[in-house]
Amino acid sequence: MFCYQCEQTFRSDNKAGCAGAKGMCGKDAATADLQDVLLHVCEGIGQYLHRARRLGATDAEADRFLLFAFFTTLTNVNFSAAKFVEFIQRAAQLRDGAKALYEKAAREAGETPETLSGAAAFVPAKDMAGLLAQAGEAAIRKDVARLGEDVVGLRALVLYGLKGVCAYAHHACVLGEERDAIYAAVEHALDLLASEPEDIGPLLDEALALGRANFLAMEALDAANTGNFGTPEPTSVRVTPIKGKAILVSGHDLKDLHAILEATKDKGINVYTHGELLPAHSYPALRSYPHLAGNYGGAWQDQQKEFAEFPGPIVMTSNCLIEPQPRYRARIFTAGPVGWPGVRHIANEDFTQVVQAALALPGFAEDAEEQRITVGFGRAAVLGVADKVIDAVKSGAIRHFFMIGGCDGAAPGRNYYADFAHATPDDTVILTLGCGKYRFNKHDFGTVGGLPRLLDMGQCNDAYSALVVATKLAEAFGVGVNELPLSLIVSWFEQKAAAVLLTLLALGVRNVRLGPTLPAFLTPALVDVLVEKFGVLPIGDARADIDAALSRAA
Amino acid sequence: MFKVELLTRDGAAIAFDAEPSENLLAAAERANIYLPSSCREGACGACRVTHASGDIELDAYSSAALSDAERAAGGILLCRAHAHGDVALHAPFDAASIGFAPTPQRRATIVDIGPAGARAMRIVLQYEEDPEFGRAAQFVAGQFGELEIPESGIRRSYSLANAPNWDGKLEFLIRLQPGGAFSTYLRERASIGDALIVHGPKGQFTLDEASLAPRWFVAGGTGLAPALSMLRHMAELADPCPARLFFGVNRVDELFALDALEEIRAALPQLAVTICVWAPETPPETRWRGFAGTPAEALAQSLANASERPDIYVCGPPALITAVETVALAGGAGATYAERFSAA
Ligand code: SF4
Ligand code: SF4
Ligand code: FES
Repeated sequence: MFCYQCEQTFRSDNKAGCAGAKGMCGKDAATADLQDVLLHVCEGIGQYLHRARRLGATDAEADRFLLFAFFTTLTNVNFSAAKFVEFIQRAAQLRDGAKALYEKAAREAGETPETLSGAAAFVPAKDMAGLLAQAGEAAIRKDVARLGEDVVGLRALVLYGLKGVCAYAHHACVLGEERDAIYAAVEHALDLLASEPEDIGPLLDEALALGRANFLAMEALDAANTGNFGTPEPTSVRVTPIKGKAILVSGHDLKDLHAILEATKDKGINVYTHGELLPAHSYPALRSYPHLAGNYGGAWQDQQKEFAEFPGPIVMTSNCLIEPQPRYRARIFTAGPVGWPGVRHIANEDFTQVVQAALALPGFAEDAEEQRITVGFGRAAVLGVADKVIDAVKSGAIRHFFMIGGCDGAAPGRNYYADFAHATPDDTVILTLGCGKYRFNKHDFGTVGGLPRLLDMGQCNDAYSALVVATKLAEAFGVGVNELPLSLIVSWFEQKAAAVLLTLLALGVRNVRLGPTLPAFLTPALVDVLVEKFGVLPIGDARADIDAALSRAA
Repeated sequence: MFKVELLTRDGAAIAFDAEPSENLLAAAERANIYLPSSCREGACGACRVTHASGDIELDAYSSAALSDAERAAGGILLCRAHAHGDVALHAPFDAASIGFAPTPQRRATIVDIGPAGARAMRIVLQYEEDPEFGRAAQFVAGQFGELEIPESGIRRSYSLANAPNWDGKLEFLIRLQPGGAFSTYLRERASIGDALIVHGPKGQFTLDEASLAPRWFVAGGTGLAPALSMLRHMAELADPCPARLFFGVNRVDELFALDALEEIRAALPQLAVTICVWAPETPPETRWRGFAGTPAEALAQSLANASERPDIYVCGPPALITAVETVALAGGAGATYAERFSAA
């Protein structure tokens, strides 16, 4: 196995990457290799669909599968080698279908269909042993000796960015929002990767194209979430438990959460969101369920302790899953793209078993002391008070906005983001989204210009909101986003964050501070490109970084 | 007070302090670290680890739990070992096998009881609703529970035969030992409605979910229980892993759980079952037409023809385990996981 797609990848003085029997995330070598094979077969699907689309022929089922398949390979999503064997066989069938579709469309258009090679012609073995033997052909670094680290690193950036796009698009898709342009971009990227590109230029262009596709995917997801569940509103959420039977829902899938709320209606069961599903409380259609009781626990890396202590079943609807411990292994369920060998999986949104489990488990014995936080400052809420914001900026009451967003992780360096938030001056506003905020979102930052100083815009899945706000404010002030008194302090962990970064770059947002470490697949030369073209900066000392941001704005 | 450091198979480092007067298992538990163990008396081998460095003294133990060769290779039993200096240990299990909370103790009621062949009984318990645990039966398939007859001091370990469930049901298959205290209770007094105390779940004899090898189960007598549990769990999850079961008894009239096996086979079509009877000289009308011999012999034959190296899960009396370990070694199996049943 070799994998360096996430921030926690194994690092030593001279190299980075998980290459042993298991990755730092717990993904074993076989699963990692099978994931590579799956993506290779998906590239083949992309090769055919890309050409078919040019001729006006599309295959919605195969497109949806691509999103799902890529999602399963994100960090902390699916760890089940046996499942990947199934997914690969399914991918091969769909690839054959895509081939037939393309060839038919070509003939109908009077063209001779191209005979494609590489991934398009790859025949996956029937069983696991055979597939593992083929993994070398699909490995991300297979050409490194010939092409060098820069090209391989950029291929990785495209592949991992694509994973993020697919994850967002999958979330939107299950809620009924699909965009042809996203599928076209996914197919394009797959076709490019399948061509085994050797030049930096086209790969950089593709990375930015994926950034734009990701903007569309986030827009589709926003439309899906607000279309199905209403516009997020500032909402006070209880973050301490209430006596009674309980279910914990983690991940990001609002549709699964909705199905669970329906399945538990009038059954005396309280439904809690776990850390990362916190924004769900601000959607009117979800909030209308009185038994959506609160949010429990912090960021994903604390889940082993928090899940062990939770007295009911746990449903993991998307990333970020880590190895289920014996104390809760029998009562954790996976859904959608998520999987762990030996853990019950719900494939069809039928949560009956989860309800049975909740009734059989003790639930909370008593009420904990009430504690609440406010969430739901999505674009509608912030833009709803845009006048106030603009006045406050013009009068000097608000000096600067800090968008502190992104993932959390176990590494100690991530305290930077909390230190940063705490050190921001009182005349500044903190916009936040993603898991990094659990390190500071229970702190009272007070108010400024009649607004709370900390505005929680949601999860990583809500990055769209942040971009819309930034764009609208820029419009209101008649400046570009880079001229706003706004700094972006981003913590990345996995591939959705990589996709969001590409979006920022594609939109021309400069001076993003990225940490806690830079991606291992970006070589020094590639980092130089990012610094030079986009002003991307590594995080440093929180106070010094704040000063630098404020002096730049001044 | 000395420092004990234990490195797990997957590389996690666990540390605790130990007094020379306490065994290492107890010392760990004082720090809320619950390491794999079963008998706690040096008889079962469940707590076996490898001693890497430091001064250690062992109390008396059974050679079934730790053979001389294993001892010579650095093997020790945590329940018998005392630290006389800072100690480093290597564990053969993953960090996930370590508990960080005490083993639950719960009341359960007998809801079904009856014979399982000529020499064993099947009992089904129902957990009572408990403020801390609810009524769910949460365990990992293959684990065991210690059953205690209230106010009698009688407490014995038995493997669970069913899969984890939300009804709070626990199924046990218990071999009747002549004169055995728990066996006597079961034969003479136990009836529906009786309360028992269940200490558990315990044990590490569970599926190695990370392994990609086929799973072959070898069961002697009521050693079938954990295999049934794991197979039922696999059936529930529609686990595609290839699986075989070799189930052996001494005589035809000792067979049991055949219906349960049929049910599992219906849900787990890839499962191949070989039933072995060691001494099938019975009246002609019940003449045994299946495999005549021990499950270890049946295993040896199948291993010789196997195309992939399977993992072997064996449970039963010590002699069967030893035989299977020998066969597995000679026949080129993958990993072998064993649960020894001691007579009680
Ligand atoms: S996902 Fe991250 S931690 Fe897991 S194997 Fe890949 S780089 Fe390593
Ligand atoms: S913000 Fe990052 S760490 Fe948190 S849920 Fe999203 S992807 Fe996972
Ligand atoms: S627990 Fe130590 S030998 Fe059984």
